[in-house]
Amino acid sequence: MRSVELRQLFLGAALVYLAVAIGFAQQGHPLTGTWSGDWGATPAQRNQVTLVLSWDGKQVSGIMNPGPDSVQLSSVYLDPTTWTVRIEADAKDGSGKPAHISAEGRLDDISSYHRKLSGTWKQGTTNGDFKLTRD
Amino acid sequence: MFKLVAFGLGLLAPAWAQDGFSATYDNTRQVKLKGPITRIDWVNPHAYVFVNVMDANKTIANWAVQIGNPLDLERGGWKRSTVKIGDVVSVDGYPARGDALQAFAKSVVLARTGAKVFTMAATKRTAAPAAAPAPRWPDGQIRLGPPPGKKGYWGAASANALVERTSGAPIPMNSEGLLTNISDADRVAPMQPWAKAIYEYRQRRLLQDDPFTRCLPPGGPRQFQTPHGFQFVEQRELGRILVLLGGGDRNWRVIYTDGRPAGQGDDAVLTYYGTSVGKWEKDTLVVDVTGFNERFWFANGGLPHTEALHLTERFSRPDLNTLKYEVTVDDPRTYTRPWTGGWNIQWVPDQDIQEYFCEENAETTFVR
Repeated sequence: MRSVELRQLFLGAALVYLAVAIGFAQQGHPLTGTWSGDWGATPAQRNQVTLVLSWDGKQVSGIMNPGPDSVQLSSVYLDPTTWTVRIEADAKDGSGKPAHISAEGRLDDISSYHRKLSGTWKQGTTNGDFKLTRD
Repeated sequence: MFKLVAFGLGLLAPAWAQDGFSATYDNTRQVKLKGPITRIDWVNPHAYVFVNVMDANKTIANWAVQIGNPLDLERGGWKRSTVKIGDVVSVDGYPARGDALQAFAKSVVLARTGAKVFTMAATKRTAAPAAAPAPRWPDGQIRLGPPPGKKGYWGAASANALVERTSGAPIPMNSEGLLTNISDADRVAPMQPWAKAIYEYRQRRLLQDDPFTRCLPPGGPRQFQTPHGFQFVEQRELGRILVLLGGGDRNWRVIYTDGRPAGQGDDAVLTYYGTSVGKWEKDTLVVDVTGFNERFWFANGGLPHTEALHLTERFSRPDLNTLKYEVTVDDPRTYTRPWTGGWNIQWVPDQDIQEYFCEENAETTFVR
């Protein structure tokens, strides 16, 4: 491939990257959107999690794992002074017994559309961590 | 040549800039460069000259020196042939942040003549043309465009950013809406805590995340503060007014004046300019705008909004040369109450909006 073509290819790739980056700037309320990731007690034991969050001007509401087994989040709280987030929900464990979920994490990479939310996750008696990325 | 608006110490930014001057260049540092010009990039949005600079170790490095927008440069007397490849120049300027070999020129001196071929200096705003009544249609309604048989467009705004109109002292900021004191954020608008945190985050990052600097449309009030002006085209027979924008990517917005109800359906696609429905109240055009997406900043400086954003714009033309713009911002998900701001915009007579495209020289601006 000639150098001119390589240069054009590089330029094209760079512009595609820019076009993608354009749409990925953070806008609106930082929690609004769909978040995907997992939680678990160890790196080897992970459970997939999807959160769908929305902001109505007064509070954040949302559901976990949308679908037939979805769980309504009982509270979601954002502290914008530290970008920390607390999430509470009442779910069921694998045997169908009630298991309260309490998660506390921190928003990172806020200016990105695909910002991160990670921290500690307690479900029932199991303690672990979680990592979510906004889709 | 350059329009500079200076507020406070060290907060200078070219008023025409769309590239995020503060995010790109460090105006607290200086750089002096000397060497032959190797390339001239004379296109929008920013003209560059490239200079081979030899350091003390006899190593040559090629610097990209930004000299401004070519349309502004032409108005200031610079021509495409003012400097030529091979001319040795001395450049005094602001270096880019980081390690890029890039600078924003404050002055360029031609070595062989000693002539200063370029100086970044404050320019007085063009004097307003002689006062005249606002033009009107035969039925007496105000015309927002040129008088019959004339040319012209709306140019410079009297404010750098949208702030709540209060009786307090002006809020110091540069031409990009970057506050001199971040503690003034509370005075800009009645933001909810999360919105204030986002606003301050954007300010602290020197507005580098601004979608407008990546050529996304300037929806909301910002479209009336961009470089290169705008124009109204009133298509009365079609019941609509087109707003043609000279900045950004030269796109347009439609204001419907055909009597349709304001607002839009819940399932309508959310857009950068929203859905605009206008009606005349005596000599004022009142426009109701809803249906915004969240993918843009609606004002210089990084004020946030949500899809709940509802604007009420009021346009009036007290005389030929003046457009009064007032907007009430109602977004209960972002602000604690509705608030109002605005500015005046000056008529540029006998001229057309010139061609300007945001990313015409993306290769130099972004890829380097």
